[in-house]
Formats: sequence, structure tokens, C-alpha cells
Amino acid sequence: MKNPSELAKEFMAKGRADSCSVIDMHGHLGPYQGIYFPNASPEDMMRTMDRAGVKMIVSSSHASLIDPKRGNRLMAEVIKRYPDRFRGYWCINPNYYKRMDEDIREFSEKEGFVGFKFLSDYHKYPITGPKYEPALKHADENKLLILMHTWGGSPYDSPSMVSTLAEKYPNVTFLMGHSGYGDWEKSIQVAIAHINVYLELCSAYRVNGLLEWMVQDAGSRKILFGTDLPWFDPHYGIGCILFSKIRDEDRHNILHRNAEKLLRL
Amino acid sequence: MEFFDCNVCFGAMMVPPPRIAENVQALIEEMDFCGIKEGLVRHAAQRDDSPVVGNELLSEEVRGFGRLHGTWAILPHQTGELGSPEEFMEGMKAHNIRALWAFPAEHKYLMTRTALGPLYDLIIERHIPLFISITESCGGISGWYLIEQILSESSDLTLVVTDHGSWGQDRFFRPLMEKYENLYLDTSRYELDGGIKAFCDKYGPDRLLFGTGFPEMNMGGALLTLAQADITTREREAIAAGNLKRLLGRVRL
Repeated sequence: MKNPSELAKEFMAKGRADSCSVIDMHGHLGPYQGIYFPNASPEDMMRTMDRAGVKMIVSSSHASLIDPKRGNRLMAEVIKRYPDRFRGYWCINPNYYKRMDEDIREFSEKEGFVGFKFLSDYHKYPITGPKYEPALKHADENKLLILMHTWGGSPYDSPSMVSTLAEKYPNVTFLMGHSGYGDWEKSIQVAIAHINVYLELCSAYRVNGLLEWMVQDAGSRKILFGTDLPWFDPHYGIGCILFSKIRDEDRHNILHRNAEKLLRL
Repeated sequence: MEFFDCNVCFGAMMVPPPRIAENVQALIEEMDFCGIKEGLVRHAAQRDDSPVVGNELLSEEVRGFGRLHGTWAILPHQTGELGSPEEFMEGMKAHNIRALWAFPAEHKYLMTRTALGPLYDLIIERHIPLFISITESCGGISGWYLIEQILSESSDLTLVVTDHGSWGQDRFFRPLMEKYENLYLDTSRYELDGGIKAFCDKYGPDRLLFGTGFPEMNMGGALLTLAQADITTREREAIAAGNLKRLLGRVRL
């Protein structure tokens, strides 16, 4: 192997690196409709995380994507049980708009949640729509993170729509889940233009040559690692980062340093 | 650990990812960077241009590169573009081509015996593996119906399904694995956490082939996933190179 990366050598040999405890900023939890998961319980997920040297994951339970009331409470229980390994995103489903105030109140009372999760492509409601406003205002007032599923060309959560929100809510830190998959040029532009927008790599990491482009134009300080665990083996995403033609310094930023800063670890 | 990539491509593409390997030398540099020893390769023109053009380009470009093993793309013989099935086989023998690819959606043909029966018979007789990307053939439920249709008509065909996608597709392929013993999968998109281990625990490692899906996919993903999968060394070695060597070794041109 001619890859000169010390991190790549260590991960290939041991599956993890002593100097690089990874933080996964895009996780889930529990079973889901369209997929078989061998490792969906929090305990199984932690075993996977241990094997790949992932010290912490920030998750929204799959149940919360459908029924926030039930699913967010489930996530809260897992965080309470494993506070050193799990943080949470409180999922906002705009289709249950009438109980959103109550939802946000409950969120404020729970420990371990770093902000909100929007899944607009699946909820079929645009991130710029008025039903998201209570959550966005609360996040802005409290300087929270919001992880959004973002997809190129989507009428619900395209990179351009993230740009609109980043302008309007400057105190929110927006994590563009999947980096606006497919519309790479626009996603990178949005991350460059807005100090409060990050590119989150889940699934995007696999696109050959993309990471080099992101690092070159947006810089490795604007990129975060995520896996959708229990969907994707962290080794898959880490492998893509290790075998992209970037420096180990950039790999450290992406795999843990940026997340440590955002999570104040 | 020796890695033999069953799913790797070079050459200019119609819609390329941000980085490709435009020629054989660039591909070898990518493989060296990742520590991948051998590749079962195709040229992008075989899909994006035409098998008539691409098969020839592939053969010319890999000649003399012992680490690269060429593949050809098929078409139904009725249009005569690649000659009769017998002539096509003669060409394969002349160029030492030991595996084939089908791109039925892009090239617009049916994979029934009506269209491909005589070719299938020769492929089966000579133990030549046929590769098909589930993504290229519509993906998801339609793609897997196609795989079942091919195998229900020609169960002796050695069929390798690649790129099976990130929405873990075990519910689709496990019933087919249990029914058709000549069905193989590549690992280029076996991203599912614990997927390779769960597969090996149930079916053994012998029908998984290491593939990267380069250049669409970064080589490192499939590489580190297999290198660190929670399986035995024997299982890992079989998937990394042994199974593909066995398949290619039994081809009789």
C-alpha cells in the first residue's frame, strides 16, 4: 500500500487508531421499515463503535422519525443509560405540528440532546415551511445544532434551501446531512458562504474524489463524519476518508476535531 | 492480505464522479495507493459507448498488464454486432477474457433465454462468470426480479450481482442465495453494519467477492470494511481474492 497516511496504516492493521477517537455526528437507533439490520440495539451499536474506535455517536432513533413523541423518549432513555457514548437529536416531524410546542418544551427538559433532526424529504414538508419555524426559532435562541437530511434537487431540503435558513437563523449550526447528496457544487458553495453550515459526510463519503474537492474548496474544518449507524459500517466511511488524497490533519478534523468543538467535548 | 478487485473500471465516462482513472496507468496508481494487487477490469466505454467499441479498447489497453484481467460486455447475438455466440467466444479466447458483464438497461435488451439462450449455453459450458450491476438494471425490487428471472431460466449460470446498494438488500437476495447456488455478490456496496459477518455466519464466505465499485466509489470503503469485518482470516482471504481466483481458474475458453 503506497498510501503514506499513518492513520490509514493503523486503521488497516487494528481497525481503529489510538490518536483518532472518532465521533459520529449522524446516527440512528433501532429497527426501521425498509432494511434488515444485524446490529440495531444500542448495545450492538456500541460493539460496532468499539471495533472502529468511535467514542461517541449523536443519534435520532428511527422511531422518532415516524412518531416523535414515542421515539424521542426512547432516545432519551438510551442517552440516560449510556451518557458517555450517545448524544441525541430531538426529531421534529412537521406533520405533527399541533404538538410541536409541547415537543419543544419536553426537549428542553431532557439531558443529552444537542439540537434537532429534520427529515424533510421523508416527511414531505420543506425545511423553509412555516411549520418548522417554532423549532428553528428555539434553536436560534439557544444556539443549537440541527442535523438535516439534505438532497440535491429535493423540493424539501436542497442545499439552496439550507442557505436560506442559514441566513435567517445565524445562531443555529446547520449540519447538511449527506452533504446535499448529488448537488455537490452547490453544497460546497453553501458551506463556504455560511459560517454556520457544515457538510456532513454520511453516504457522500463514498463518491470518489468528492472529499478532496470538499477539503480543497470548503476546508476540512467544515466537514463532519457520520454513518447513519446502524445502517453503515463505520469502517466503510472511515476507509473512504483514509484513502482519499488528503492529509492526516484533515482526517483528524473530519473524524473528530470538528465534532469535539461543536459538542464542546 | 491479498486483494483482487472484481468490480473496477477505467476510462472516460459520460457522467464521471469527481475523480476517475482515465487510463490503465492511472488505475494501477489508484490500486497501489490502496494496496490492491489485482483487478478484474472493464473500460467505461463498454457501458457508456458500446460493447463494440469498448470491448476492443479494453483488450488493447490491458494487454501486457498482468495484474489486470479484462472482461467483455455482452449483447444479444440477433443484431450481429458482436458476431455469433461462437465467434464471440473465439474472440474471448484470443484475448484471454474470462468474465463478462451485462448492462441490459443501458444497452436495452432482455436477459431472457429468448434473447440470450445460445450465449448462456456457451457461458455455462465454459464456466464463465457473468457480472451484472443491480443498480444498472433498475435496482431495488425490479433489479432483483430480473436476477430471479435470469436464474430461474438458467440456474447453472454463474451470476455475480454487484453494487447492491446502501439500503441493505439482504431481504431481496437471501432467498435467492438459498435457492441458486451459482449466485454470487460483490462487496462494493455491502456497507450494512455487520452485513458481511451475518452473511458469512449463515451462508459461508464462498459466494462473496471483494469489489470496490471504482471509480464511482472510493476504493477505501470496501477495502477497510472487509479488512476489519468480524470474520475469520480464512473467510476474509476467500472474499478478498480466493473466491474470484477460483471462479476464474475454472473457466475453459
